[in-house]
Amino acid sequence: MRNIFKLALTDYFYEWQMSSCFVLALAAVLAPMMILFALKFGIIGSMVEQLIEDPRNREIKPVGSGHYNSEWFNSVREKPEVAFIIPRTRSLAATMQLKSNASTRIIPAELIPTAEKEPLFYKDISIPTGLHQIVLSESAAHKLKVAVGDQVDGSLNRRHDNQKERVHIKLTVVGITHLAAFARDGAFVPLDLIIATEDFLDGRAVPALGWQGDLPLESERSFPGFRLYANTIDDVAALRDGLVASGIEARTRAADIDIVQTMEKRLNAVFWFVAVIGLTGFSFSLGANLWANVDRKKKELSVLRLVGFRTSDIIWFPVLQALLTGILGWALASLIYLAVETSINRMLITQVDEDNPVCRLLPLHFEVALIFTVGAAVLAAALGGYRAAKIQPSDGLREI
Amino acid sequence: MTRMAEGIEFRLTVPSLQISLGEKIALIGHSGCGKSTLLDILAMILQPTSAGAFRFRPEKEAPPIDVVKAWSQNDLNFMGDLRKHRIGYVMQTGGLLPYLTVRDNINLSRQLLGMPDDGTVEELAKNLDIARHLNKHPDLLSTGERQRVAIGRALAHHPSIVIADEPTASLDPIAARKIMALFIALAEELNITVIIASHDWKHIKQLGLRRLAHRTTQNSAGTVTETKVTG
Ligand SMILES: Nc1ncnc2c1ncn2[C@@H]1O[C@H](COP(=O)(O)OP(=O)(O)OP(=O)(O)O)[C@@H](O)[C@H]1O
Ligand SMILES: [Mg+2]
Repeated sequence: MRNIFKLALTDYFYEWQMSSCFVLALAAVLAPMMILFALKFGIIGSMVEQLIEDPRNREIKPVGSGHYNSEWFNSVREKPEVAFIIPRTRSLAATMQLKSNASTRIIPAELIPTAEKEPLFYKDISIPTGLHQIVLSESAAHKLKVAVGDQVDGSLNRRHDNQKERVHIKLTVVGITHLAAFARDGAFVPLDLIIATEDFLDGRAVPALGWQGDLPLESERSFPGFRLYANTIDDVAALRDGLVASGIEARTRAADIDIVQTMEKRLNAVFWFVAVIGLTGFSFSLGANLWANVDRKKKELSVLRLVGFRTSDIIWFPVLQALLTGILGWALASLIYLAVETSINRMLITQVDEDNPVCRLLPLHFEVALIFTVGAAVLAAALGGYRAAKIQPSDGLREI
Repeated sequence: MTRMAEGIEFRLTVPSLQISLGEKIALIGHSGCGKSTLLDILAMILQPTSAGAFRFRPEKEAPPIDVVKAWSQNDLNFMGDLRKHRIGYVMQTGGLLPYLTVRDNINLSRQLLGMPDDGTVEELAKNLDIARHLNKHPDLLSTGERQRVAIGRALAHHPSIVIADEPTASLDPIAARKIMALFIALAEELNITVIIASHDWKHIKQLGLRRLAHRTTQNSAGTVTETKVTG
């Protein structure tokens, strides 16, 4: 066993030119397969990920306005398909003027009610609480030239008792969302603050903030709208149908989801079609190469037989060499792949964010490629070796 | 043994043949009469079409080994092991491993048997006049030098029998005579049984070998050639 190991290696490196050709030939077929798979994995993968991860695809928007009381909100919140629901106030009463020390501009910002589990926030953005915390949209923060931790001044004005009235409120920026979450000038605020805003603009008093006005509402509050998000994109349709059945007209991004899902299916089908053809070609080319190689060495293998090497040795000889070819070919293909991956991703980096490269493979994929390659190589070589070991040594030796 | 190729049949029959330990045998015959075929059968690297009995006694007191049984079981490992320990074979041409140096080629059987590096290889190389080529690969050697390397390998592990198929056919007559004499001398020194095939009796007559009798006949149509060897 040690002897044959040494002989196989000696032969492999003595014939380094031939061996390199085998390694190159293997890598030349394997590398494109890896690139193809990485592209499909990257593109379809990130598409699906975006689809699943983009919370806007899970949103169900009411059409028009209604009257939703807290009892209704509680009942919806309990549904298992619901990830997040929060009341919306009248949109006209949900705007606040924001100003910061760093900028001279005063910008009107839409107020969006938020709470724990806000689906539009990345995990690292803290949820505003109380009456003095806000999370700004990227564009608002940019115009105000503020960062997390800065203070901004919020102001509201109303006509009350035929008088112009203006109130100010100190707000701390506890977070800034990314552009995709909210593209316009906006501020995510706790529900209490948005209710206070509405109360003030409607002429009522807000004792908690020291704002004067009419007495607060006596009857139970009802809201004209809501922000509703399903748990997964698959829950969207059912949730919407439930709302529609109870008389609430609602809109979703179902059409977009459908397009992406159909496209994913088709791309997958195309990929597997190409992959099966490619893999078959790859296996045959590898197998034929190694088989032919054993055939080429039939005479030398017969010499080994002549001096008394055993059947297992004769099989081990090409198998060890195929193992080497497989590993080296795989390593070379991986290097080629990594180089191509880097340049593809660099070329397309403007269109994709860094977490979702167009071209990517997981370590698992490399392992699978290695196992598949080495498996096919060893199998072909073992079959060739077995055949060489079974012929009469004389027949092998007398070959011209 | 019957070989068929494209309607032409070649048949080799050996009604009886006995070779004693330590004997030096010469198998003389013209080209194509079946010398290589017989030697391959004796070296157990070629299975005859049918065999009555073939017994091989590797040592004086050892019980004979039934080769026909191994053939019928197609036990290539069994015959390989016998060759490994007992037989050295010098092929008519080639038979060296191109990827090993001359030293490693000569040492191949010794290494396989786990024999120590005791200078045997160098000693043999010196006797065969190829010591200066020890670290070269066979492709850099002349045909005659390669043939001497093959002789070295066949002798290096001290087998009981050395079978040589026209070991000097590719050499000039003077070198051929020299190497043949050297080969026989080395074999004698190591007390090895020798079986040599050659088409030229003149070369080996004076080396004191026993010549095997054989008769080659052809049928009238010329489609069947039969060689009968006894001795
Ligand atoms: N594999 C084969 N198939 C068919 N016929 C074969 C085969 N090998 C050899 N023969 C035939 O067997 C006969 C004997 O061949 P062999 O090689 O034993 O001759 P030889 O006496 O060694 O000749 P030479 O002196 O030229 O080496 C030849 O006629 C050859 O044509
Ligand atoms: Mg011959």
